[in-house]
Formats: sequence, structure tokens, C-alpha cells
Amino acid sequence: MPTEVLLVEDSPGDVRLTQEAFREANIAIKLHVAEDGVEAIEFLRREGCHANAPRPDLILLDLNLPRMDGREVLALIKADDGLKSIPTVILTTSEAEADIVKSYHLQANCYLSKPVDLEVFEGLVKSINDFWLKRAKLPKGRELG
Amino acid sequence: MIVAQKGTFDPMQMTISNESDARYRGLLEAAPDAMVVVNATGEIVLLNLQAERRFGYRRDELVGQKITTIIPEGFAERLLADGTRSAAAALAQQIGTGIELSALRKDGSGFPIEIMLSPLESDDGILVTAAIRDITVRKAAEQHLMQTEARCRGLLEAAPDAMVVVDEGGKIVLVNAQAERQFGYRRDELLGQAITSIIPHGFAERLAADSQRSAEDAVAQQIGTGIELTALRKDGSEFPIEIMLSPLGNADEVLVTAAIRNISARKHAEVLLQIKIDELSRSNEELAHFADIASHDLQEPLRMVSSYTQLLARRYKGKLDSDADEFIDFAVDGASRMQRLIQDLLIYSRVGTKGKELLDTSSERAFEYAIGNLGGVIADSGALVTHDPLPDVRADEIQLTQLFQNLVANAIKYQKTGVPTVHVSAARAPENKWMFSVKDNGMGIEPQYFDRIFGMFQRLHKREEFSGTGIGLAICKKIIERHGGTISVASLAGEGSTFSFGLAASTQT
Repeated sequence: MPTEVLLVEDSPGDVRLTQEAFREANIAIKLHVAEDGVEAIEFLRREGCHANAPRPDLILLDLNLPRMDGREVLALIKADDGLKSIPTVILTTSEAEADIVKSYHLQANCYLSKPVDLEVFEGLVKSINDFWLKRAKLPKGRELG
Repeated sequence: MIVAQKGTFDPMQMTISNESDARYRGLLEAAPDAMVVVNATGEIVLLNLQAERRFGYRRDELVGQKITTIIPEGFAERLLADGTRSAAAALAQQIGTGIELSALRKDGSGFPIEIMLSPLESDDGILVTAAIRDITVRKAAEQHLMQTEARCRGLLEAAPDAMVVVDEGGKIVLVNAQAERQFGYRRDELLGQAITSIIPHGFAERLAADSQRSAEDAVAQQIGTGIELTALRKDGSEFPIEIMLSPLGNADEVLVTAAIRNISARKHAEVLLQIKIDELSRSNEELAHFADIASHDLQEPLRMVSSYTQLLARRYKGKLDSDADEFIDFAVDGASRMQRLIQDLLIYSRVGTKGKELLDTSSERAFEYAIGNLGGVIADSGALVTHDPLPDVRADEIQLTQLFQNLVANAIKYQKTGVPTVHVSAARAPENKWMFSVKDNGMGIEPQYFDRIFGMFQRLHKREEFSGTGIGLAICKKIIERHGGTISVASLAGEGSTFSFGLAASTQT
């Protein structure tokens, strides 16, 4: 069974970079992309064209998104009994203290800011893979969903 | 009794008939004033020693002479009867009154006198005794006093401020022309009025004695203090004033002089200044904010350029032609330089906007952090970085670390050959400061560049020689200025540089 990761990210450049970095880190990962908050929620709730969407093992969530921003998405995930156990990692360019505090307040599992340098970014993606997808023991959420 | 003959009076013929006459003579001679006795026709019949002295005549030269010889005007006239009064009545009017006249000495010089007349009945009619006092000194004193008064009045009137003198009860007793002008009243309209009619609040209250203090103390507390109040003109308009109070010491009552300055212009200037200050700090804030946001937002697209050119280089280097490889290299290099520039700009702009409070900070620890951050650079260069014990100072620890980091990194970087050595020390300086020195054995700096190197984007070397954004020392300067100090460099080209900066000592030392 492939590892399913949902990337919520509106910048195509960042999406591709993340795909490239995961390809280096773990070829077995299936990376799904939602381009804004509304689509992310539809994907998670299997609404509309996402009726057959898998339940992700990990969510990578940007904060600044069109239509519904990452903070609202995070709040909805953590308020939803069916979704709250999915590790949700904030991956954003913001280094603002207010965003960090707010995200953890909303039960984000981890807050990471995107490094400027490519190699550092690749290293970060590798460590996300190593920690959240390999080392961390997660509940068998798929059976619940 | 004094017996005097009308007309040709011979003093030698004057008879001292009894004891009382002798006493009279004695009294006359003992009198402190010059005494002259004159008969009804104005001839001198008797005088004392003081009179001789005052007028410079011998006694025999004056007796029988007209009184006008020594008092040309104002005396003889007073003895004369005229159509409306008898001689006795004329004289009676003068009794006891000090009359100021001019007297003439034998040598022709004049002097001011005051005479007191008293009649003396005698067998030969009325004689008049004149006590004559030389009032030269008093006149001079009076004149001096008048001049002084005139000067004081002149000063009062010439004062640039409105001057108002009030009594303890707050009644206006004196004003100057400025006061008339400022308040729009005539002098006579102000005198006797309550001070509250022109300064409704804050003045009268200050004069009042209360249970804790006397009226004098009340005033004493205000002396020399500029008090800002509001004044009221006759036409009802108001204007801001500053008053300075000073008491006029007097045995009977306390008078208070108030110098009242119209500070409308100053107030207006203060308001304008405040507006300017507000505008300036707002625009400064906006600018700092702008730099912060701009450099952050610039970083985003740049991250794409940089990441993808790096990906290109990694995957396709050597697979395209040599031109392509070169182009990719330039793109990667440009993007990474732009990144460093933006990061340095961010650091620079955040020195002002993200600075922390200045606290007691161990400069030694900040230095250790800096050395830790430079671990790779120090290891690669083989640099020898040493330091003396470093003191506690008032600083933002993060910025102090940044400061050491930039200075030590520069010291290591600007080397031609040999092992870079850097030594950091601190010495006590005046005004409770520490003067830090970062000394290197590097290539040094020509004196003409001493100021320039602290400016933004100032570089002294070609990029191929030494990379860098030219912001590092500008950041140092901004950090030090935020800490209330200055940074400077001393250097000999080829022999190394010493960067010096001052920081306030910690409050614990």
C-alpha cells in the first residue's frame, strides 16, 4: 500500500519542488495536491470530484492560500473527529512568531518554514519523510475512515 | 529778649538781657542747622556759627545785609505782606513747612537748602528765625532715587513680557505697557481688578495660603517656575501664556510680580514640531516595514529561480553544450548572490524593527555564540580567534552576537596569506562604557575608505577576490547606533585593522 501525502499548496513551483524532493527521499510516496483550502477540505471529506480520494497518512499545509487559508483548514481538520488524528505539518515561508503560536494553538503537529536554499529544502523533506512517515507510529486511521 | 533796631542794626548793640536770652544764644549756636534771624524788611539781624560756615561769610559780613544776599529767591518774598494779607499772616502760612530753596555762598557757588521759618516777637516787630539745612546730599540721593525709579519703570515698560504686580488678595496693583497690549485693556481698567479677570485659573490659587503653608511660602514655591496657563483678553479671546512669579519683599504685604509671556507662537511651533515628529516616525516605520516586507516577498520568487536553476545545474550539467553550462552557472550564481543580498537586507532592516530590549548581557557569551556560528569558517581558514575576558554590557544579545559574527568573519575573510589571527578585547571607557576592539592581522584598509566601509553596499574589492554583499559593516553600524554607540576602524594597510565600538556597561557593575 503506497504512502499517501496531501500537499496543500497554491504555488505550482513549490508543488513541483516538493514532488522532486520527495522523489529523492522516498519513491513510494503518492503526493496528492490541493491548490487551496476549500479543495483540501473537499479532498479530506471526499466531496465532489474527490469522492474516491484516499485518506492521507500526512498533510503538508501551507498557511497563505486562496479562498480558505491554512489556519481555517487546520481548525476544521482538528475539529473533525474523523480527521484530527492525521498528522498535519505546517510548511510555509512565514517565520512570524504569531503564525507559529497560532498554528500550535490550533493543534498543528509541527511547524516548519521553507528554507530558501534548495539543498536545505531537500534535506527538510527527507527528514519529514524519515520522521513522520517512517519512524512515527501513527494510528491505523484508514480503518477508522 | 533780642533787641534789634530797624534799619542799621548793629549786632554789637544787641543786648542779652537775661538768662533766657543767653540760653537762646546758646541754643542758636548749638543748633545743627545754620540759623539766621531776619527782620521784617529782610535784613539779617543774627546768625550762628553754622551759618557762617555754610555760606562762607564772617558774621560781621552778613549782619545787616539783605537775606537775598545768601538766599536770593523765595525767602524775602515770604515775609512780605501783600494786598490780601498782613506780614504776620504771610509768615504764619509758612510756619513749620520745609521750604526748598537755593542758597548762595560768598564764593558764588549755590547749594540746595531747606528752610524752616519761625516767628519771634520782639520790641522791634516780628523777627523771623530761619533754620537752614544744606540738603545737597539729600537732593543728590533723591535724584538718584528718581533716576533709579525711572530706570526701574523704564525696565518694567521695556520688558518684553507683560508684567503684572498683584497683592496678596490677587488685586492688580501695577501693570506695564506690554500687559495693556497683550490683554487689550487700558492701564486704568486693570489696576484694582482681580487677577482672575485676565488669568482666570491657576494664578490666584497659587497665591492663596492654605492650611499647609503661608502666603509667602505659597509664592516661594512658585518662584522661577514657568507655569503654563491660559489668559483672557478683554474681547473674550484666550491665549496660552507662561508666567514666572517672583515676590516683592515688603514688610507690610506680599506683592507678587508676574512676568507673563504669550506663548502662542511657541505652542504653535510645538504643535507643528509634534506633527513633523509624528510624520517622520510614521514614515520611518513605514519604510522599515516596507523594507521588511519587500525583502521577504522578494525572497519568494527568488527561491523559485534559485531552486530551479540549481535543479537544472544538477540534472543537466554536462548533458547540454558548454554554453548552456556557463549560462546555468551565471544564473545559479546570480540567484544565490541575490539571495544573500536580500537576507542581509532583511537583517539590516530588522535591526531597527525587530530589535529586542537592551538588557544586561554577557558580551562573552554573545561572542561565544558568534564563534559557534562561524565554526565552519574558522575551521576552513585555520584562523586563530582569541579573546580577553569580556564584560557584561547593556545589549540585545542577538544583535551583539550578529555584531561579533560580522566583525570576526570580516577579519578572517579579508586575508591575503597566512593564518588569520583575530583578538577581541574590552577596556573601560568614560561614562560607564566599555570600549571593545576586534583586532586582526589582515590586509588592512586604506584611510580614505574608513568611513565608506560602513555604508550600504560599499565594497572595496572585486567580486572574484572577495564575495559579499557590502551590507555586513552597515549592519554593524546600525546595531551599534541602536545601542547608542559608534563604531570606527583604525588600520594600516598590510598590517591589519582594529574595529572599535563602545557599549554601556551593565547596570550590575
